[in-house]
Amino acid sequence: MPEVQVKPGRHREASLYHALAGAGAGNGRTLDQLREAALKTYETSELPVWRRSGFWTTSLQSLDLEALSTQPAAAGAGIPDIVTRTLPDRPHAGRIVQSAGEVVHVELDSELAERGVILCSLQEAFQDHRELAERWYSKRLTIDRNKLEAANAAFWTGGAFLHVPKGVVVEDPFEIVYTIESPGVAQYARTLVVGGESSEFKLHEYDLAEDFSGQALHAGAFELYLQDGARCRLAQVQDWGAGEVYDASTRFVGVGRDAYCHWLPALLGGHLVRQHLELAVSEPGGDMAFRGLFFTEEHEHLDVFAVDLHETGPSGGDVHWRGAATGESRASFEGLIQIDPGAQQTHTYLQIHSMMLSPKARVDAIPSVLVSADDVSASHGGTVGELDEAAIFYMQSRGLDRPSAVRVIVEGFFEPLIAELADEPLEEIVREKIAGKLAAARHDIEAYATSR
Amino acid sequence: MADLEIRDLHVRIEEREILKGVDLDISRGEVHALMGPNGSGKSTLANTLLGHPSYEITEGTIVFKGEDITEAEPHERAKAGLFLAFQYPVSIPGVSVANFLRMAINAKRDEPIQVKEFRNQLQHAIELLDVDRAFTSRHLNDGFSGGEKKRAEILQMAMLAPDVAILDETDSGLDIDALRTVAEGVQKLHEEQGLGALIITHYQRILHYIKPQFVHILMDGRIVLQGGVELVERLEREGYDQIRQEVGARA
Repeated sequence: MPEVQVKPGRHREASLYHALAGAGAGNGRTLDQLREAALKTYETSELPVWRRSGFWTTSLQSLDLEALSTQPAAAGAGIPDIVTRTLPDRPHAGRIVQSAGEVVHVELDSELAERGVILCSLQEAFQDHRELAERWYSKRLTIDRNKLEAANAAFWTGGAFLHVPKGVVVEDPFEIVYTIESPGVAQYARTLVVGGESSEFKLHEYDLAEDFSGQALHAGAFELYLQDGARCRLAQVQDWGAGEVYDASTRFVGVGRDAYCHWLPALLGGHLVRQHLELAVSEPGGDMAFRGLFFTEEHEHLDVFAVDLHETGPSGGDVHWRGAATGESRASFEGLIQIDPGAQQTHTYLQIHSMMLSPKARVDAIPSVLVSADDVSASHGGTVGELDEAAIFYMQSRGLDRPSAVRVIVEGFFEPLIAELADEPLEEIVREKIAGKLAAARHDIEAYATSR
Repeated sequence: MADLEIRDLHVRIEEREILKGVDLDISRGEVHALMGPNGSGKSTLANTLLGHPSYEITEGTIVFKGEDITEAEPHERAKAGLFLAFQYPVSIPGVSVANFLRMAINAKRDEPIQVKEFRNQLQHAIELLDVDRAFTSRHLNDGFSGGEKKRAEILQMAMLAPDVAILDETDSGLDIDALRTVAEGVQKLHEEQGLGALIITHYQRILHYIKPQFVHILMDGRIVLQGGVELVERLEREGYDQIRQEVGARA
């Protein structure tokens, strides 16, 4: 197959934004070896800074890492309040909850357990299902790109492991929850999920923190591998609350032959959040829908790097993100379509729409395309908008007051993605969180309108 | 005393005076037509009556059901019973017609409307406007044709049951079938609910379906001629130019 030369200038040497695109750190090394290698990187590297030259800089150097500890939860702590308050009361296939550095709750439907489904802490998986865990662990994730990635690989405790075996179809969602309840915590979260051949399941991750004051860290590494013909709907609700929570996470989803993943992270808050999200179609016939929404407020800083990676063809992709910003918050989104040599007959599209709701908020969106195959279609589009005053007047003329009209517009803006969650309890959580943020930003939004 | 009393209304937009002293009385159960050439200030009047923030009232008052609403917020005017059917309705992506209607109805009430009551009202309105039920689950005005947008306006009017509605060039851009449906809808609401209407139009054709009791001709920001339906016929015969010459000569 002829290799198509990528034009000079399309490589982005100036940027630190690269797809993982390749083998991970695992591949034959034991967990101990990986921890040791990661520790070396940790000790010799600085806290990361990501720079998208000319646009934004995401620096974690204001984090006082020395002052944080991987403290376990208080003994016998049970399910944290915030979990009870936030998660919907609904049927679920299983649930695992990690508070700070310790798994505090695991439950799994007994019938599913009999059918071979495994849901346990990752630590336990390395004891009880060693072969399976070793085979997949860090298969595509790296451990040495920056200090926090290395810290995660070196220091993680607890963790979550889910294996849905071949042919098992699960209706209700599995829930994986990470919580931080007090400042001073460094949470190294590690999730490994494997969907066996032709399995079908839903996975909801919640990342939650109490509204405390002071610093905390969530450095997460998430990997999900879908084997041939597997189908997964993956959703994430992240809201780190009002505390000074830093989140630097990498998430990788690998889609196998004829497999499918619908992935929707809802990033709804955090002092400084950097997410590297990579959805890779690794085998022919794989297909995916990569959705995402974000809402930043006050002084939050969000940096999302979303990769739509096609390693083989034919494959399909569809990336659609929407975000809004209020206050003096900053949201930066870079969406990369990367089509590797040999990924012929790939068809993908990336769109990012954003809305700025206050004069000091800023949203930047950069779509980019790296194509190394010639029989493909890849394109991108996007909009950056403000509140439409004509639409507000229209709704006011029907009796809605201004804040209600603003809410309708913003909710309507997010609604196409929220509806795609296709899960009413989850949809309600996202809607409520957005409504809450709008209510909190009401004066800010009002001031913006009158200033224009 | 009329339900809607407009007195000596002067309106400016971006330093330019558009309305130069308009007086108009409209009550429930009355159908008024406001006609005038392009640029005479018709849409300015419509938008001003609902409180559009771009239009500045420099003189005069608007009183609705005894309350001075000259400075009121648009949603307060709507809640009091005024309605504007827009010339160019904007799209509201992500919100279905039905959901929007429910929000608008609830905005006027203390208690949210019962599901059954809402459904009955909606059924009645969609029959009136000759649309199907699927129409109400589409996102409001999003991708609607011109005719669908105007039907959606009248559908909202039917559901919100205002005392006085202003229809801003509802007839423009409609084919004859859509025009008939929309006009008949307005006529029925007038008959059934005692709707008072101010039909703003450049042309005469909508007035073949809805017979106004009062006709006003607006030129250069002033009402220059008032009368009954015979004025429509005269306008059809003579055109605006002749009327302009006549009132110009008189002034």
